[in-house]
Amino acid sequence: MVRFFLERDRVADLVKHLMERRTVYAPHRKGRRSFAFARTADPAAVVLDYPRTLHSVKKFFLPPREELLRFDLTDDTFAAGEPEPSGAAFLGVHSYDVAAVRRLDHNFSAGNAERNYLVRRQGAVFIGVGFEPDKFHFSGSVGIEPDDTAGCDAFLTKLLDGYVLEILTPTGRELLKGLELPPYEGNDPPAHPFQQHIYVPQSRLGRIMDKSYEHPVWAEASRTCVGCGTCNLVCPTCYCFDVQDHVDITATGGSRERTWDGCMLRGFSEVAGGEVFREGLPERQRHRVLRKFKYLSDTTGVPWCVGCGRCTAACPAGISIANIVNRLVGDAERTPVAPI
Amino acid sequence: MKLQDLINPAAAKELYLPVMAEIRDVRKLTELETLYTVALPGGAELGHQPGQFVAVSLFGVGEAPFSISSSPTRRGVFELGIRRVGMLTDVLAGCTAGRKIGIRGPFGRGIDVERFKGKDVLIVAGGIGLVPMRSMINYVLDRPGDFGRLIICYGSRSDRELLFTDELEKWRRNPNVDFRVTVDRGSPDWTGHTGVITTLIPGLNLDLDNLACCVCGPPVMYRFALLALRSRGVKEKDIWMSLERRMKCGVGKCGHCQINGSYVCQDGPVYHYPEIKALQEAL
Ligand SMILES: Cc1cc2nc3c(=O)[nH]c(=O)nc-3n(C[C@H](O)[C@H](O)[C@H](O)COP(=O)(O)OP(=O)(O)OC[C@H]3O[C@@H](n4cnc5c(N)ncnc54)[C@H](O)[C@@H]3O)c2cc1C
Ligand code: SF4
Ligand code: SF4
Ligand code: FES
Repeated sequence: MVRFFLERDRVADLVKHLMERRTVYAPHRKGRRSFAFARTADPAAVVLDYPRTLHSVKKFFLPPREELLRFDLTDDTFAAGEPEPSGAAFLGVHSYDVAAVRRLDHNFSAGNAERNYLVRRQGAVFIGVGFEPDKFHFSGSVGIEPDDTAGCDAFLTKLLDGYVLEILTPTGRELLKGLELPPYEGNDPPAHPFQQHIYVPQSRLGRIMDKSYEHPVWAEASRTCVGCGTCNLVCPTCYCFDVQDHVDITATGGSRERTWDGCMLRGFSEVAGGEVFREGLPERQRHRVLRKFKYLSDTTGVPWCVGCGRCTAACPAGISIANIVNRLVGDAERTPVAPI
Repeated sequence: MKLQDLINPAAAKELYLPVMAEIRDVRKLTELETLYTVALPGGAELGHQPGQFVAVSLFGVGEAPFSISSSPTRRGVFELGIRRVGMLTDVLAGCTAGRKIGIRGPFGRGIDVERFKGKDVLIVAGGIGLVPMRSMINYVLDRPGDFGRLIICYGSRSDRELLFTDELEKWRRNPNVDFRVTVDRGSPDWTGHTGVITTLIPGLNLDLDNLACCVCGPPVMYRFALLALRSRGVKEKDIWMSLERRMKCGVGKCGHCQINGSYVCQDGPVYHYPEIKALQEAL
């Protein structure tokens, strides 16, 4: 492990160094209190100290709107969409978002592997940064600490006067070669405590979810839920999509596009004949939460909620997924849960 | 049980690109349903199992899943029986022979015919559920040595909505087929059985030790069909069910078709009943 000291004044040098070698995507300020990953044009505009971005880096690998194919209506031919390999450096990514990418990698590699995602994802480099948990983060409860470097090629940890830059992979070393920095020989910077938690170890969640199907919390959460689907759209591990055709204004061609979709929306499970398999909001909320904590975990062994807190921060009704889970935990723990 | 690592895109197949097939024949079945005969380019075989489906698309209109109605034993072309319910199906209803359509698939897990071999085959089909079940029915009829008796229970809302009436007549006359049909409400000249499909089941002559049964119909039908079969002593392990859910990709990616943790486009649409018994969202 190689650690360097990056003085606060030299952060812009790091960004410049990266920009000379790769396209750089990093957090930028969007409005007074929100942040977004965007292509960096000005090193001074990069913000490394931020609570969370509205969307995760998912949007670069699974864009909100993407052309699957372009068709020609005059002769019924088509051409496949051309996803561009990103090959970009993603600077200032939080550990939970890298963990989310890891889960998306699984989804698009396992079973029928999907070229579109894999092409976009190819060659991406991650330079993580630690974060100070706010009232919404709870990633520590799902095994993802703020200084977790898994999946990163390099990692920045904040100090009072700058950052510790840790090089983690050969790709990271190659990319940062030539950036002259002094070694860092100080202690590990202190970890920041979480303010939000799930009150049970991750290993017990599976059993608790198994018992939660008929729990009143689904109806309780639905009293104020408006079914807007925002919680799905901002989630870094949600990957469900819709596909629709769009005809160009000339009416001679068009494109088949996929767009993000969400299981909280009523039409998501509607079929011909008008049957909606998850008609009520309680069923939809249950599906969203069990997908994160049970269905996908049962097959992959990890929770699919990475504790970023986005769904809670963005929900117009203030519905908190951590509170939902804790409600289940509280009731399940009153009746003994067998240790695993 | 672990996360699969990122793979190289070169190892991934194109999942969403259709093959351009051609409609060879269009035959109106009823007011709402039409039967399409479709040929793949170069006379390629679809290579499906009874119970599987394809994604059909018309550029500029959209794409949707439809069961393959013909048996894989009938080679060269395949058939789709499609009900007019919305955008794509409306435009399809106006299509004539020669029209190019996009086809992806076949998708999903069809009927595991090996597990039906040597047994009496009971098909319970409600309404448009006959479209996919017809694939299995004709498969059994084309390989008479492989199966025992064929018992068909078909229920329709009215006699005017009966599908494949010419074939129904053939099945009725076939001495190796026990064909039963019922309508919820018959027109004045209907002389057959009246009542919901489950009313056909008590009267069946079943060999419970040598039976395999497949059910397909509208969502409300499954629970009642299951109750009726169970009360006749049909074993759970002898029951298969073909389920329908909204589907956008057919390849296990879009998430629409999920029943609890199961993806219908991958694990279904035809499920062995013991597999879905514990899935609260299944029936
Ligand atoms: C495995 C499977 C097999 C099917 N087999 C047949 C068949 O053999 N014959 C047949 O007529 N129909 C079949 N269907 C239903 C068929 O997919 C729908 O009728 C079709 O999607 C409607 O498309 P549309 O554009 O005409 O309707 P739209 O205008 O999109 O909507 C009309 C209605 O269809 C529903 N719908 C829309 N998209 C889908 C979708 N992707 N999946 C399911 N429902 C949808 C809508 O919710 C709405 O209620 C099958 C569905 C599945 C999942
Ligand atoms: S964001 Fe909140 S209100 Fe909107 S669907 Fe999700 S839980 Fe319901
Ligand atoms: S469910 Fe909510 S907290 Fe969990 S990963 Fe998704 S957006 Fe973040
Ligand atoms: S239809 Fe897309 S996942 Fe099953």
